[in-house]
Amino acid sequence: MHQALLTLGFGLVGAAILSLSALAFTLEYSVTNVANLSHGEILTVGAYCAYLVQQHGGGVILSGLAAAAGGGVLALAVHNGIVDRFVRKGIGALPTFIATLGVSLIIQNALVIIFGASNLGYTVPQGAPRNVGPFLWTDTEIQIMVSAVVITVALYLIIQHTRFGKSLRAVSQNRSLASVSGINAHRVAALTWLLAGLIAGYAGFILAESIGTFSPYSGFNFFLITLTASVAGGLGKAFGTLVGAIIVGIALEFFGGYLSSSYNLAFAFALLAVVILVRPRGLFVGGRRSIFG
Amino acid sequence: MIDYIVTVLTEGSIFAIMALGLNVIWGWSGDFDLAYYGYVALGAYMTLVLSIGPAVDPTTYILGLTLPFPVAVLIAILSSMVLALIIGAIALRHLRGIYFSIVTLGAVYVLYIFAGQFVPLFNGFNGLSGLFDPMGAFFGIDFASYEYFYLGVCVVALIAVLIVLTRLNSSRFGLALRSIREDERAAAAFGRDIYRTKLKAYVLGAGVGGLAGGLFAGYLSAFNTSAWSPVETIILYAAILVGGRGSSRGVVLGVAVMVIGLQEATRYLPEVASHPSFAPALRLIITGVVLVLFIRFRPQGILPERRLRDKDPTGKGDAQVAVEHQIAGPTLDTGTA
Repeated sequence: MHQALLTLGFGLVGAAILSLSALAFTLEYSVTNVANLSHGEILTVGAYCAYLVQQHGGGVILSGLAAAAGGGVLALAVHNGIVDRFVRKGIGALPTFIATLGVSLIIQNALVIIFGASNLGYTVPQGAPRNVGPFLWTDTEIQIMVSAVVITVALYLIIQHTRFGKSLRAVSQNRSLASVSGINAHRVAALTWLLAGLIAGYAGFILAESIGTFSPYSGFNFFLITLTASVAGGLGKAFGTLVGAIIVGIALEFFGGYLSSSYNLAFAFALLAVVILVRPRGLFVGGRRSIFG
Repeated sequence: MIDYIVTVLTEGSIFAIMALGLNVIWGWSGDFDLAYYGYVALGAYMTLVLSIGPAVDPTTYILGLTLPFPVAVLIAILSSMVLALIIGAIALRHLRGIYFSIVTLGAVYVLYIFAGQFVPLFNGFNGLSGLFDPMGAFFGIDFASYEYFYLGVCVVALIAVLIVLTRLNSSRFGLALRSIREDERAAAAFGRDIYRTKLKAYVLGAGVGGLAGGLFAGYLSAFNTSAWSPVETIILYAAILVGGRGSSRGVVLGVAVMVIGLQEATRYLPEVASHPSFAPALRLIITGVVLVLFIRFRPQGILPERRLRDKDPTGKGDAQVAVEHQIAGPTLDTGTA
């Protein structure tokens, strides 16, 4: 029982990182209807930004901010440079999806050329593990989880209680109707991608922090799990995605803890295959069409 | 020099067969399948375990039957088709668009992980080796002239695949498939069984992929997880997109440009010191850029799929215009999720 609780504790850390990544991915999808296959690279770029800042003597807070900024700039660039142009041109969702795969290839290999393909170490003083209730967490892990909760709450408040959030919900429900109602859908989508990029960049930073190493491919590998969580929970629906991410994050930790962690990804996709066959629209998608419904 | 040309032509034929198989799935049927390289890999693995001897300690793998190479390739093709039947039956029943792609992406990663981690199957990430000059001893071909023989085998296989696919393309099956690609609902309204037709195409494409995998295994004489990754599928997609989606001539041209041309053009780049992955990374960047540019500016490719002509001589005039209008080559967007 004690062991199970410890595993749950570690699972919560993984779930926190996964939640942020999956929320960002679902936000990108909700306003453009394009599943962004270069989402993983936003995390990777975030991790590299944090790494560079750390190399120049920056602290944890500065590194986190740099990661968010790097991710935000990249997401905005992908939206304005590729996705929005393609949408304006009337190129459909699937070809744009393929194009983002090309973008992913470009960024990944640009990073390989600049930084090399091997793993880079990202070490922060973790602090000694502490007992928090039945769980055992280091300071870094507590920082990861607290920041994830704060960001999620802030995101909820932005979406539900600001003017921008209202237009975001409108665009995600019906883009053309929102446009004729006087909302600048392109601008709302761009801002949403910027917001998603900030979150994803930060997720890349805490991912590198918790694993301790990263490479040009770590973002893409983590993206595969992100994809599983958000599609299983309900693509484009923030609440479903959040629940999906928490469940997948914890399930992976249990699976990896008791069986073999090399099969983690295989397990995640097997889970997704079952979910998608039973409920193609996602597990936790209610009748309401709102993004936080 | 002549060795170099033989190598390029052999690799080119094998990759062309690979791309032609994917073209059945994406070009004709319109499904953006990310699991495709898994069928190629399974074909290669199965060919090896069927044609090499039993496992010797410390290696472990299944079978090891020492079958003749052509028999091994045939069984390998069948196993790729069976796998495609299972994955296709799950993924094609309800899923289209990105959902289909996501599930097939998952399937290929499961396969990749098992091939690399589950040692009793195909010897884990060390992979399989030991298939030297298949059929060489049988035909009494010496080591020096073997590469010409194998080039001949690959070219004959490519021509056979081209002939079969060209015939299929203008058959009722091919027409049904493309009518489904253009408009699933309309095709269903005309009595097409969407699911079965798409599944047939999927299994057929995977079989061609398995053949390419078998030939690839014979060419490399070994196969392991560092020889393939799910990303390879994207390179094949880039080749199809550049050449002309749906058109066999286009696909062969695309492979010549995007796989062989790009590889040879970047082969003699000055090696950057302490940077062994510079040339492969640059190739992938170019592939990505080409992919994005072609989707944006020339989605039909260099040699677009030919428009169908109405063969009925009495149907000249309006009917022909109508048919041409309806089936005017692939539009990239195939339905929403």
